[in-house]
Amino acid sequence: MPPLRLLSVDPSDRGSQRCRLGPGLMSTLGLRLGSPLLVSLPGGSCLCTAWPRPDLAEGFIQMDLKCFSPGLTSGLPAHLTLDPVQLSPLPCSKLKRVKVTVIVQSHDFKKHTHSSLLHEFVKDMLRGVYVHREYVVNMEDFNTDIRYVRIVWVGPDPAAAAGVITSKTALEIIEVQTVQHYKSLLLKEVAPPLGGLEEVTASLREMLQLPLFYPSTLTSLGVSCPRGVLLVGPPGVGKTLLVRRVVMEVGASLVVVRGPEVVGSRPGESEETLRAVFENARSAAEEGPCVLFLDELDSLFPRRSGSSSAENRLVAQLLTLMDGMSRSDRFLIIGATNRPDSLDPALRRPGRFDREVIIGAPTLLQRKAILTVLCERMPVCPTVNMAELAQITTGYVGADLSALCREAAMHALRENIKGSGQQLVEMKHFQEGLKAVGPSCLRGSLGRTDLSPVLWEQIGGLEEVKTKLRQSIEWPMRHPEAFVRLGLRRPRGVLLYGPPGCAKTTLVKAAATSSHCAFLSVSGADLYSPYVGDSEKALAQLFQQARACAPCLLFLDEIDTLIGSRSDGGAPNSVQTRLLSVLLNEMDGIGLKTVERRGTERILQAEGVEQSHTDEELECQEVCNKDVMVVAATNRPSSLDSALLRPGRLDHVIYVPPPDLQARLAILKVCTKSMPVDSDVRLEELAASTELYSGADLENLCKEAALLALLEENMEASSIRHTHFLQSISKMSPSLTAQQISAYLLSPQ
Amino acid sequence: MSLQGALRRSFLLLQEQQGVWGSILQECDSLAESLGNLGEQMGGLARVRLSDTPLRVFPDLQERLRFQLVQEADLLLQRLRGRMSDLQSVRDSISNQASAVLLLYEDAADTLDLAALSRRSSVVPSAADMLEWLQDAERYYRQQFLQRKILLQTLRLEDLSQVEGFPQRWKTLESPDSEQRITDTLCRLSFFMESQ
Repeated sequence: MPPLRLLSVDPSDRGSQRCRLGPGLMSTLGLRLGSPLLVSLPGGSCLCTAWPRPDLAEGFIQMDLKCFSPGLTSGLPAHLTLDPVQLSPLPCSKLKRVKVTVIVQSHDFKKHTHSSLLHEFVKDMLRGVYVHREYVVNMEDFNTDIRYVRIVWVGPDPAAAAGVITSKTALEIIEVQTVQHYKSLLLKEVAPPLGGLEEVTASLREMLQLPLFYPSTLTSLGVSCPRGVLLVGPPGVGKTLLVRRVVMEVGASLVVVRGPEVVGSRPGESEETLRAVFENARSAAEEGPCVLFLDELDSLFPRRSGSSSAENRLVAQLLTLMDGMSRSDRFLIIGATNRPDSLDPALRRPGRFDREVIIGAPTLLQRKAILTVLCERMPVCPTVNMAELAQITTGYVGADLSALCREAAMHALRENIKGSGQQLVEMKHFQEGLKAVGPSCLRGSLGRTDLSPVLWEQIGGLEEVKTKLRQSIEWPMRHPEAFVRLGLRRPRGVLLYGPPGCAKTTLVKAAATSSHCAFLSVSGADLYSPYVGDSEKALAQLFQQARACAPCLLFLDEIDTLIGSRSDGGAPNSVQTRLLSVLLNEMDGIGLKTVERRGTERILQAEGVEQSHTDEELECQEVCNKDVMVVAATNRPSSLDSALLRPGRLDHVIYVPPPDLQARLAILKVCTKSMPVDSDVRLEELAASTELYSGADLENLCKEAALLALLEENMEASSIRHTHFLQSISKMSPSLTAQQISAYLLSPQ
Repeated sequence: MSLQGALRRSFLLLQEQQGVWGSILQECDSLAESLGNLGEQMGGLARVRLSDTPLRVFPDLQERLRFQLVQEADLLLQRLRGRMSDLQSVRDSISNQASAVLLLYEDAADTLDLAALSRRSSVVPSAADMLEWLQDAERYYRQQFLQRKILLQTLRLEDLSQVEGFPQRWKTLESPDSEQRITDTLCRLSFFMESQ
């Protein structure tokens, strides 16, 4: 038999429970006019009565959804084709008894309608309808407050699940619900999972459920349960999603306040709407747990200012409403904001928003959990390692990660279209996605830099310095368990000093490339501002952002000019000294602000439970690398403040010496790697004759030699000869002096 | 064919009852209008402060007036409910007729071929169509009756805004489209009904 195309229902058929088929199909199925018919659809099934189409055409089906399984409440999908085997005749007898739940539109209707009246109405409405156990009957065509009727039980025959209701059927109404409540119950069954927020979810759930499960205990203790929760966290960490999720899990109804809906143009209108919202929540709370959710709280209720603006009155109204909640009002107010400081302080006291839950940017383990949840429904290649992915996505919040997954999937799709036939999302797709999606913690940050990757091998010589840098930057990332075992802490800061042109900046670049940290670099242009206090604020904010996406490398180049010293006789109140105090505080201050908390405090301990090795490693890493590491570079270490150089701040002070003979040779080798050097060039000899040359000088030397070759042999030069090098050396003079170098050797601290 | 006869009888009844339904509704409209007026008077009475007017010399005037108005409204409601029972009898007669015809069809269904049932000619629509139209008409009257009944039964005289808005809400329940559809159906069936 040909498949049937599903068309939308004819308006005149609405409410008739008819299913329009071709007469041929009806005869094949053995259906009479008006015989009950069960249609199974994706997502549920629907009970209809069969009628021939007015135009008697075959191959189409139209259904009026009158009685259907709860899964179809949201309606039918468009463009559906059905197979005739999905239709099956269902013998229906006359029912003697039926038990139902009535779902009405408004609380008012529920409150004011007497049960006997409701019984009469529902009975009239259901007459002649074919019903099925556990199905929902749609009553919207009657245009009244009674929206749906859920059939709970049909009798008398327990074996028969379906039947027709006649005027003699006895009807029993078990419960009356509102549509809102009913829908929230439906959603509970299809809640999407949420990664990495288990602790917060548990505490919210407890607050919602305690007063419901143990009301007598709470009254006997004489305490009232907390009724207000403030969620604080940067944008994109999932505050709104968390609330929706918890509400679904608990089966509570949710009343959402959106900013623009509340604020009205007339004076007093906003307050009135707010009162109506609370009233709404109160009536919803009568049926079960209820949450009043105020999203973007800071925009609605900002700090009250001196002038009598409209916001002041709105804040005052909220305060009075929250105070006016009596103990019998069993609803919870949840506010969400990403700028808690701009809220009115009066809102943040116990009795109003009792609890403040801080959701920080996700930590490594949380990111892994989020990624696992996100990738659950994606066809991800089994070789993709979530832990590795979580490691390279420092500073990504939940929203970023979901964008990343989407990008990766899009890349995979594009490749698929091109015809490589791969259906799986692989690691390379994620890496492509990483280029497009940046961490939102760092968005708009001062020191965000795109650095071109530099490998350790591209820096000639300086082996000792490289090892030291690796020790302090790479090791804590690569071998956290060793650090934890020996009770080591990763250094707070590293200072590189040495004569100019000796690859200090390049070394930092290489370090940033080799570790998967976020990398921020800041210069004086970013920090200084004509406004008093602005520079300090910018620096503090920079540290805050860096901590949000820890582990993070913060690079302060030319720190001597950026940050002053208190001892060199400069003005005691200059910007530099103030910046210095900010830096000292941020690096080794008394602690973090509470709003910057991330995840829960983890303490490593020997637990009895055997953990898998990778988990343990990740945990070590998380504990070990939760700080920002400051890397500073200078060529005037003597002008730095001594407080900055003590252990705990810039612990490692590394001298980057001018290249010695070996190093010069290595540098020359690196520099001439891409040059066609003639066989007669003796690099050893060159290295020996370039005493006091810095790395930058040597690079310049090679460049000069190449230019000279071009000059002498017209543009056809194919190789650089030794004489070219010698000629350039004779023209150049080293930028370093022996005096300078000896000064560095004297003045480390 | 007995089914044909039963259908013919049903549509004749429908034609007759449609007229009755319309006339009852007209009566109801004027009653609803009066009820709305009373609601406005009640609203006015609730807003005015009689102590500020020369009428303050009359004792308990406000309560008395209110009582009077409520009594009037009660009377009107009673009359409306009386009309509702008339509407109910119209609905019942149509419903009974429709279910009787369907029952007749069910009994004879085994002998009737679906192709024969859906065969139509230029003057006589098919039996399937007619059954469907009869069901549609029955559903329409049932729906109309129920909507009006719910409106009337859930009306509370204490809620002044509800009383004042009653005539409008009563009016919005009218559905000229469906009414027209029934008239159209009857027109299409006029040859069939005349061919005794």
